[in-house]
Amino acid sequence: MIEGKLVDLVPFEDDFATYFEQWMNEESWFRARVWERREPHPEDAVKKFIEKMEKNEHGALIGFQTKDGDPIGGVIWDHEWTRVRKVDAILFVGDMRYEGTDEALDGLLMLLRYVFETRGVHRVDAAALAFDEVRIEFYHRAGFSHEGTLRQHVRWDGDYVDLELFGLLEDEWPGYEQITAQLDLQPSGIEPKPKPEKKDEKKNGSGQQPG
Amino acid sequence: MFEGLLVDLVPYGKDFLDRENEWANAEASFWGSGGDRRVVSRAQTQARLQRWAEALESGHDTGVAFGIRAKDGTPLGFMGLTWVLPYHRLAMLGAKIGDPAYWSGGYGTDALLLVIDYAFDWLDMHKLWLTTTGFNRRVMRQMEKVGFTLESRARRETLADGQWHDGLFYGLLRTEWPGRDAKIEQLGLRVRAEG
Repeated sequence: MIEGKLVDLVPFEDDFATYFEQWMNEESWFRARVWERREPHPEDAVKKFIEKMEKNEHGALIGFQTKDGDPIGGVIWDHEWTRVRKVDAILFVGDMRYEGTDEALDGLLMLLRYVFETRGVHRVDAAALAFDEVRIEFYHRAGFSHEGTLRQHVRWDGDYVDLELFGLLEDEWPGYEQITAQLDLQPSGIEPKPKPEKKDEKKNGSGQQPG
Repeated sequence: MFEGLLVDLVPYGKDFLDRENEWANAEASFWGSGGDRRVVSRAQTQARLQRWAEALESGHDTGVAFGIRAKDGTPLGFMGLTWVLPYHRLAMLGAKIGDPAYWSGGYGTDALLLVIDYAFDWLDMHKLWLTTTGFNRRVMRQMEKVGFTLESRARRETLADGQWHDGLFYGLLRTEWPGRDAKIEQLGLRVRAEG
């Protein structure tokens, strides 16, 4: 676990894996993962994605949760290009009650803290569909510069949508402590969800694996 | 497969694969990689080509590879779609001419016009895009000439010879493409007598 101001980074497993079967089929996932084809993700596909990210030597999927342990969503660093110390950063909010909150913003800041202050990257890339105002505002608040617009780049619900590109450089990152102090992050006060039912319990009644 | 004025686009077969290791260790690799200086063995190149073949076969690589062949049969390099997303009708272009003697001679542009027509007229793409670096003047000039728009500039994205350089994103929409014949006319490209 890496502890932040409003959220902590934790392994993407247990409750996260359970919630992910729902999250990975919701619009927020496809808004975050602009290159993906819009299609249903059955249990197997969700499991495979987690496994793929666990084996990924150039990236990782990390969960983020409130200080009460309420899972919010995930952050992904990916396509690490070691020669030039560059990564792509992706934030997705699974529990949409947290969309636009300072907890969600802190998820992004914690990802930046990790890649700049632990992995030593030089540059972080981020992208947003042109209509995704919440994400774009987060990028600005986190200190990203808007670097350009890929015109009519992505097919979305019958139209071609522009893709906005952002970049943040290591010498522009003030440090996690400084930026969180500047932004004066405040908790949203959202009540934690009840814990999800354990799959094994649901299937077997006793909660034990057969034989 | 597709006949141009100076070059033809043909399957990226043995004639081309046999040159891969030489090209991987040459100046072409520096430009193609955005500043890397590679020193690779034949075995490393072979392993890379093997991975590429497997990715194509398994469908992980959605690209289309052409060889650029001069009219006298010389294999010049690669021209192709390196990443095709049919659901976005979006394809990324990639190119490499191995031998510097064929740079700035119109060979790459000739091949590019062919592949653009192929992507729009046969694969029904909506947009083509590519990335290069802020120090690659040849590609920048070519993009402007052919009608691509510079859409984004990733600041200090790549390192070449000790200096950080921007990454450039170029795009061409189908609605902006007049067709190869019209573009050839506009640019005044002609068949040349060789030698």
